[in-house]
Amino acid sequence: MDADALVRDYLGRLDAAAMRLPRERRAELEAEVRDHIEAALEESGARDEVTVRNMLDRLGSPDEIVAAENAGGAISGAGSSGTVAFDPSGAQTVARPAAPGWGAIEIIALLLLTVGSIVLPFVGPLLGLVFVWLSDRWNGREKLMASAIVLVLLILPLALFFGASTSGGLNGPQVGPAATAGP
Amino acid sequence: MDIAGIALLIPIAGIAAAIFLVIALRRRRGG
Repeated sequence: MDADALVRDYLGRLDAAAMRLPRERRAELEAEVRDHIEAALEESGARDEVTVRNMLDRLGSPDEIVAAENAGGAISGAGSSGTVAFDPSGAQTVARPAAPGWGAIEIIALLLLTVGSIVLPFVGPLLGLVFVWLSDRWNGREKLMASAIVLVLLILPLALFFGASTSGGLNGPQVGPAATAGP
Repeated sequence: MDIAGIALLIPIAGIAAAIFLVIALRRRRGG
């Protein structure tokens, strides 16, 4: 298979993989990928089969490109608004995963933190925190901050409440001058 | 702090954490 046939085959597979995208976005994506392939081949200065195969491997499979497009709307390039990362120094065209977005775990976590805290007091937000920690879309610092917000706002008033009740502030025994006064 | 105050703080805690997480995620996607 010659180089042009490889590129045609790749673009054909991209077209098939992109069928679930809107027509305009599909045409745009294919044009961008085609341009990047051409640019990468011009940069490399060769159009033999091995060069084309290597370049297409670096680009990533059509399914990966479409999946990234679906997930985040773009395969972000370094410093460009294009959808495919392209390094002109070495014809490195690389499909990257899209920026993280919303997934089922994130939506469940937020629902438990908001609606869950009303429907299931205490249990809801704590379960929400479990899902927050299960998610890989938030980093450790963000998870810690969210946990701190929930735990401080839940535990502090509880501690104050039980502290006050055990020291007699609410329902405890009444201790005062009348109890110690003798005849 | 009475029961009503604690009951009010539960959703406030959850919603505050949810707002923080939404902002964090949107900032990363936008940035």
